[in-house]
Amino acid sequence: MNLAPIVRKEFRQISRDRRALGILVFLPGLLLVLVGYALNFDVKNLSVAVVDEDRSPESRHFVQSLTGSEYLVHKWSLDDRSGIDRLLEEGEAQVALVIPRGFAHAMIEGKSIQVQVIVDGANANTAAIAAGYVALGIQDYSSRVLAQWLERHGAHILVPIDIRPRLLFNPELKTAKYLVPGLFGLILMLSTVISTSLSVVREKELGTMEQLKTSPLKAYEIIIGKAVPYLGIALLAATLILVLGWLMFDVSVRGSLLVLYVAIFIFLLAGLGQGLVISSVAKNQQIAFFISVFSSLLPAFLLSGFVFPLSSMPMILQVIANILPTKYFLVIVRAVILKGVGIGPVWDQFLALSLFSAFAIGLSSIRLHRELSS
Amino acid sequence: MKSIKQMLIKEFLQIRRDRLMMPIILVAPIIQVILLGYAATVDVRNIGLAVCDMDNSPDSRALVTRFTNTGYFTVTGWAKEPDGVDEYLNASEAVIGIVIPRGFGRDISSGRTSTLQLIADGADANTANISLNYARQITVGYSQGLLVEQVRRLGGGRQVPQITPVTRVWYNPELRSANYMVPGVVALILMIITTTFTSASIVKEREIGTMEQLLVTPMKPSQLLLGKLLPYVLIGLVDVLLTLGVAVNWFDIPLKGSVITLFGLSGLFILTTLGLGLFVSTISHTQQQAMMTAQFFVFFPMIFLSGFTFPIENMPAAIQVITYLVPLRYFLEIIRGLFLKGVGMETLWPEALALLVFGVTILSLSVSRFQKRLA
Amino acid sequence: MTTQDKDIAVTVEGLTRTFGEFTAVDDISFRVKRGEVFGFLGPNGAGKSTTIRMLCGLLAPTAGVATVGGIDVMRDPDSVKANIGYMSQRFSLYEDLTVSQNIDFYGGVYGLEGERLKERRAWAVRMAGLVGKENELTGALSGGWKQRLALGCAILHEPPILFLDEPTGGVDPVSRRRFWDLIYDLSNGGTTVFVTTHYMDEAEHCNTIGFIYAGRLVALGSPTELKQGLSSMTTYEVKCARPLDAVDAFQELPWVKETSIFGHAFHVTVSSDPSAVGSIRDILMNDKNEVEAIEEILPSLEDVFIHLISEEDRRKAKAA
Repeated sequence: MNLAPIVRKEFRQISRDRRALGILVFLPGLLLVLVGYALNFDVKNLSVAVVDEDRSPESRHFVQSLTGSEYLVHKWSLDDRSGIDRLLEEGEAQVALVIPRGFAHAMIEGKSIQVQVIVDGANANTAAIAAGYVALGIQDYSSRVLAQWLERHGAHILVPIDIRPRLLFNPELKTAKYLVPGLFGLILMLSTVISTSLSVVREKELGTMEQLKTSPLKAYEIIIGKAVPYLGIALLAATLILVLGWLMFDVSVRGSLLVLYVAIFIFLLAGLGQGLVISSVAKNQQIAFFISVFSSLLPAFLLSGFVFPLSSMPMILQVIANILPTKYFLVIVRAVILKGVGIGPVWDQFLALSLFSAFAIGLSSIRLHRELSS
Repeated sequence: MKSIKQMLIKEFLQIRRDRLMMPIILVAPIIQVILLGYAATVDVRNIGLAVCDMDNSPDSRALVTRFTNTGYFTVTGWAKEPDGVDEYLNASEAVIGIVIPRGFGRDISSGRTSTLQLIADGADANTANISLNYARQITVGYSQGLLVEQVRRLGGGRQVPQITPVTRVWYNPELRSANYMVPGVVALILMIITTTFTSASIVKEREIGTMEQLLVTPMKPSQLLLGKLLPYVLIGLVDVLLTLGVAVNWFDIPLKGSVITLFGLSGLFILTTLGLGLFVSTISHTQQQAMMTAQFFVFFPMIFLSGFTFPIENMPAAIQVITYLVPLRYFLEIIRGLFLKGVGMETLWPEALALLVFGVTILSLSVSRFQKRLA
Repeated sequence: MTTQDKDIAVTVEGLTRTFGEFTAVDDISFRVKRGEVFGFLGPNGAGKSTTIRMLCGLLAPTAGVATVGGIDVMRDPDSVKANIGYMSQRFSLYEDLTVSQNIDFYGGVYGLEGERLKERRAWAVRMAGLVGKENELTGALSGGWKQRLALGCAILHEPPILFLDEPTGGVDPVSRRRFWDLIYDLSNGGTTVFVTTHYMDEAEHCNTIGFIYAGRLVALGSPTELKQGLSSMTTYEVKCARPLDAVDAFQELPWVKETSIFGHAFHVTVSSDPSAVGSIRDILMNDKNEVEAIEEILPSLEDVFIHLISEEDRRKAKAA
């Protein structure tokens, strides 16, 4: 095979095009830093506004024990409920707590009492987590009060259920650990689908494809020659993310590197195939770019489980996600990196990914062969 | 004025001629809002639950039923041994595992404490956090119910102290992600459409050589720019109207604030996006480059650093400072405030002021760069 | 304005433009008479487009003065723009607009309206030979038509001065000929035409030629004047058996100024000397290169320019 000239030419063109180089090298770095440092759903230090209508030692104790964590911070004390509006509207507080008169009385006399919790629901995710923290805190406090009360009254009953939570894989619950492996899908799609489709279409536009076709190079040599550099760059980008993710965010590969790279390779083939199919459809770079973004980048961002959980989406979107390769790839990547599993538990994902890959490569070979040998 | 009118007529003729243009301007935003409205959600529902019930008593089954009755959990696997639960988590088939020990029912009915294990797949930190919270709430609620029941049995209907939270969620009572995300998508689409088209249409004139032709006519560069930018201001506002319609009618998100304020401030935000588009056009030789630059060096960082999906409060202090330089941040605060909280200018004026400052600065810098490039 | 000035359409005095270290146009001066066709020639990168861009007010000169139609391009570029037409080889039309939409647009930009616009539109369509095709997309037209339509759009406002920057690049010979007929018509009608080209046959059609090389104006005059400017030289057309070898043989001789191949013959330019013909014949005989004919000819413009370029190169080499 006589690939060297095309591979060399492709590398020279890539290294000359500063902007493309920026997108292929600088962007993965930028995304990694953003995703690692800036993006997380951790909900901490929520500001709580307290309206304590009881003003008793008991109510103060209740507030203290509820807001003593890193999650809820007692930031505002209000005299009456009317101040809550403004604080929540301006985002100065996310949670408001209203303790009614008679709180201490209920605690001592053994009565039920309701505490009002108001949550800023604008950001549903934060709100759900905040409401959960508060509810759990109150339940917890209530249990302890009940246990003490029972003890004081001579009843000997233990709390029925003791919960032992155990967090697997990412015990500190760092968002970065989840997002960094997810970046693979996005960045590899960028350096395969978009780059390949654009570079082939550019040759068509410039007429240099015509020139290559009339050269002694075989059709498959042209294609492989154009694909190899992008494969190389993509593998390099993947390794870069892996190393930086490990150095900066402590995301180490628990499973086998070999399995990981096999998965990456199959995924890259899928991306290359997809890029080549697009290049055989698109008339100019602009259209190639649009199709690429809509068929690869957008799904890799939205419909892959990278950030947004697929299980919460409507059926139709889940079906679309199942047709595209990124979802399977991300399950494998996360399983290998975070969970340290081998092929065993994710063999079905591997199968789906390989099927897509084979389909994309097959279709692109047929289309390009027809085009190049005509 | 006449020259501007000629430019406007020409731009609109060209937009109408391009077969892809109308769908991209009018249909794509609607599809994007719908797609993103559904997809860009971090709601946690249908959580996969792996159960290992070694007790298999009425009490243990009652606990599992409590989980599934909430609607948050779906049992996706039954394991015979505790290790089996881990396997479901490994294969990502379940997020939460629950192990009910032998003797669970006997212990709780005889006043002893039984240990329940909850295992969470922490890989997806957010989902794990929320799911685990739900699981704990369910279990603690169950436990407390048992306790109260036992006390009542012992003491014959005696009252016990109990605190129950009555939670009210303001602005978005059903806690729908869409209520938060869709207004954000409206802002995003406005930015993408106006920035991309402005830069591409200016670069196109340069690519085909008509820019030079226009410059030797008596038309002033300022007239030329106005003629090129105005159509996209209009398109941007039409897109706001369209996407707004989808948000209100399709997703049932009420616009609590004033429509006029929303349009006025959208206009203010467009100053910034046009400026960015113009700037991108001055550093690009081809439409291809312009689109890539806009996509990867403007939109990507803006989307991540504006608080579109990831709350700014959660970012490290240094990055929080950077977010003040992201114009989209202010517009998101405005549009979400208007949609969800129904606030008005008396609350939004600082953001509006920031947008004005950014818009005027970016636009005038870009215009001067554009003019310098012509000389 | 003096009477003399009335006859001058363009004056250029010491015009210079630098881009950083690079001097694209180096202190050039010339005048273009009203109504003439002024050919501005030179190889690619010599400074033709830079000069034309300065004259059209697109680019500010670094030094020097230029007036177009009596207006200083530095001081009042906007008035210059209203008085000129400009067309480049890229035929700056909107391919996604129809023929009449393009005309309406450019007409509007130049402030034409109502009856005048209607009249000029009809004229441009006729001139470009596009009658009946007014509603066709410009992108679907062939090169020659696009070129004539672009010219039509550039002179809708009947400018007294017309700048054409390599207007015939990439156009077939028949269209080129038709295009030049249009230029003569305009010139006869009193329009001053300033045209850059690198086609020598087109240069022959110009009233005056300025030749620019490496930013310097190295020759100025009518085609005949330029050819006669080589009077201290004589050019011979030599037909012989192996012209390629002959060129090799003559190139190195000190008294030979220039040699170039023309098909089966070659041209050799020497310092005027009656004995030259004999010397040429001798050298070829010695080389066993059979001579068919040696004829003194008037040098072509190409000969003139090749000579000017090598003179300039020699002058530079000496200075360095």
